[in-house]
Amino acid sequence: MSTVPRKGIKATKPLVPEPATIIDVIVETPSIRSFRLVFDDPGIMKEFSFAPGQIGLMGIPGVGESTFAISSPPSRRDYIQFSVMKTGFVTSAIHELKAGDAVALRAPLGCGFPVDNWKGKNILIAGGGIGMAPLRSLLLYILDHRHQFGDISVFYGARTPADLCFVGDRAHWEEREDIAFIATIDSGQPGWDGRTGVLPRVMEAGRPPAENTVAVICGPPVMIGYALAALARLGFAEGQIFTTLERKMKCGIGLCGRCNVGSKYVCTDGPVFSLADLGNEI
Amino acid sequence: MRFIPEENITALLLRLSENATVWAPQVVRDTVNTVLFAPWREGAEIETGLYSALPVKGLVLPATERLFSFRYHRAGEREKIEIEVDELRERAAVFAARACDAKALVTLDALFLDGSGRSYNDQHYRARRGALTVITLACTSCDSACFCSSFEDGAAATAGSDLIFYPVSGGFLAEAVSATGRELAALDLFQESNLEKPPLAETAKVELARLGQRLLDKFDDIDFWRRTAEGCLSCGYCSYACPACHCFNIFDEMESDRAGGRYRCWDACMFYAYTLESSGHNPRPEAAHRYRNRLAHKFSYFPLNRGEFLCTGCGRCIRGCPAGRDVRDVIKALGAG
Ligand SMILES: Cc1cc2nc3c(=O)[nH]c(=O)nc-3n(C[C@H](O)[C@H](O)[C@H](O)COP(=O)(O)OP(=O)(O)OC[C@H]3O[C@@H](n4cnc5c(N)ncnc54)[C@H](O)[C@@H]3O)c2cc1C
Ligand code: SF4
Ligand code: SF4
Ligand code: FES
Repeated sequence: MSTVPRKGIKATKPLVPEPATIIDVIVETPSIRSFRLVFDDPGIMKEFSFAPGQIGLMGIPGVGESTFAISSPPSRRDYIQFSVMKTGFVTSAIHELKAGDAVALRAPLGCGFPVDNWKGKNILIAGGGIGMAPLRSLLLYILDHRHQFGDISVFYGARTPADLCFVGDRAHWEEREDIAFIATIDSGQPGWDGRTGVLPRVMEAGRPPAENTVAVICGPPVMIGYALAALARLGFAEGQIFTTLERKMKCGIGLCGRCNVGSKYVCTDGPVFSLADLGNEI
Repeated sequence: MRFIPEENITALLLRLSENATVWAPQVVRDTVNTVLFAPWREGAEIETGLYSALPVKGLVLPATERLFSFRYHRAGEREKIEIEVDELRERAAVFAARACDAKALVTLDALFLDGSGRSYNDQHYRARRGALTVITLACTSCDSACFCSSFEDGAAATAGSDLIFYPVSGGFLAEAVSATGRELAALDLFQESNLEKPPLAETAKVELARLGQRLLDKFDDIDFWRRTAEGCLSCGYCSYACPACHCFNIFDEMESDRAGGRYRCWDACMFYAYTLESSGHNPRPEAAHRYRNRLAHKFSYFPLNRGEFLCTGCGRCIRGCPAGRDVRDVIKALGAG
């Protein structure tokens, strides 16, 4: 189980969100937008702290709320960012929001990545599509504490160049000498001079050493399946591999029952799990 | 032990009514012609022979409950949201609960009042639970669906009750379990008695030893679960009727242009949409997956996480299932302990 304690949401009224305001909207891709928001109560904003990998339930009262990974790093004190893919009812309504609009937020929830246990280790990050959202938070955390970690390699895959998020970050990550960053798209496209090929294959071709390395993978289930197989071939043990799971959620606090994977709840025991935690329950 | 004569029951219920709504099992003829816990008023007939279709859990986890109301308002240039949580003002008392229903309240407490972070202490549940008095009527007879005797204590379970009534000639022996119960039993409506407690119901039994593991051993045999869930309509009655089932959905409703409420309402893991994700992916697509999960939650996961079964053997899911599914058949089919 991840070791990061849950903190932040008012334990005395866990189902009641706090009003917040959108301060900025970033159009990432045709279907993904990032929303930066601040709690209306400056006291709550000031005390807000979380670990990368933790989640929030952001919503529009009257429409509903949905679960999203926090995609900004803990060091960002002036806003909290969620990167939202438009898929259904609530996410479509969220995509209509502009700076200045009101939302309501319950965060942080769940357990984040056990980064304190990863000190001194090499970190391999592999994110597919919107799965990059929690990994952006993690990567920015790692860069904030760069000296605590060994080699950092990052693989980020999407279907087409237009589906890659975080344009500004990517340019910066590509330039940095102290991390190896590779973005890849599934198949060749005119105007794309970067890597092509599905993410698990590109990652395996890089032959990342398993020794003293933690692998963190997030993305669609198919990608996770192939990536796990690739990591196994590369010699990674279950305890070295971390992922975030996704299940339909409502309460986010271990009560409404629906997000269970075996005896564990994705909302409170996860969403971060090591493969060793999950056994055959994945 | 204390004793209350039959003819004092009305006076007791009136006394309770002074500061609480009293819920008692009654035949509700106008709607479904079945026994339900309903608000009691003087003169109403209480039905204790037939089993109520729904348990008393609705008093702590109502079928529909407003979590908070919200209002949009303009603050200068900006739209702001104001959120207000209703305060629970009313106390409730339940009369003639069954021991299996009362015991299930303690099971729910373990979850809803936990607060360790594996689940959160739920303020709405806490308020209702704290405002509830439970008077249980011990069962001296049972029907063919009951199987509480499989569990420790069986019909003699006292957990979750404040006061337990045992039917004896001319009235009820009253055993106080909590401070609230002791206060009630001290009322002048009660008197001292040296009558003996009556023998309680002995129900059908199933073998619960190692059940959690036996179930997990069979988990991957999906054909087994298809056979056990055969005919299941995914109607969800078994979950709604269960005193220990507690899953809920959350939804918003606008009550005017600018204001509305967020509600939670009972849900059921037997529904297809319960786990249906917006991508169209459903981790539990068949009734067999859902039935397996429901029983695994009750007999494997909840015991693993909380050290007790999420079932008290009340038999409601057996009595009311339109497809004739019987959880005891599954437990038997999972083999001996
Ligand atoms: C741990 C976790 C982290 C997530 N992080 C992100 C993220 O960073 N960015 C992002 O775009 N999406 C993320 N998702 C998925 C996101 O929650 C769903 O896409 C979203 O809830 C769909 O809501 P909807 O109302 O638009 O869809 P609808 O299909 O209309 O769904 C209605 C309701 O069902 C629930 N629901 C449906 N699908 C899901 C689902 N896959 N997961 C959880 N609840 C669901 C929600 O309560 C939703 O409001 C995450 C999900 C989980 C569980
Ligand atoms: S009551 Fe019976 S038919 Fe309905 S969901 Fe439960 S098992 Fe299926
Ligand atoms: S599972 Fe069935 S028998 Fe057990 S408590 Fe629930 S309704 Fe009663
Ligand atoms: S979302 Fe309700 S239990 Fe996890």
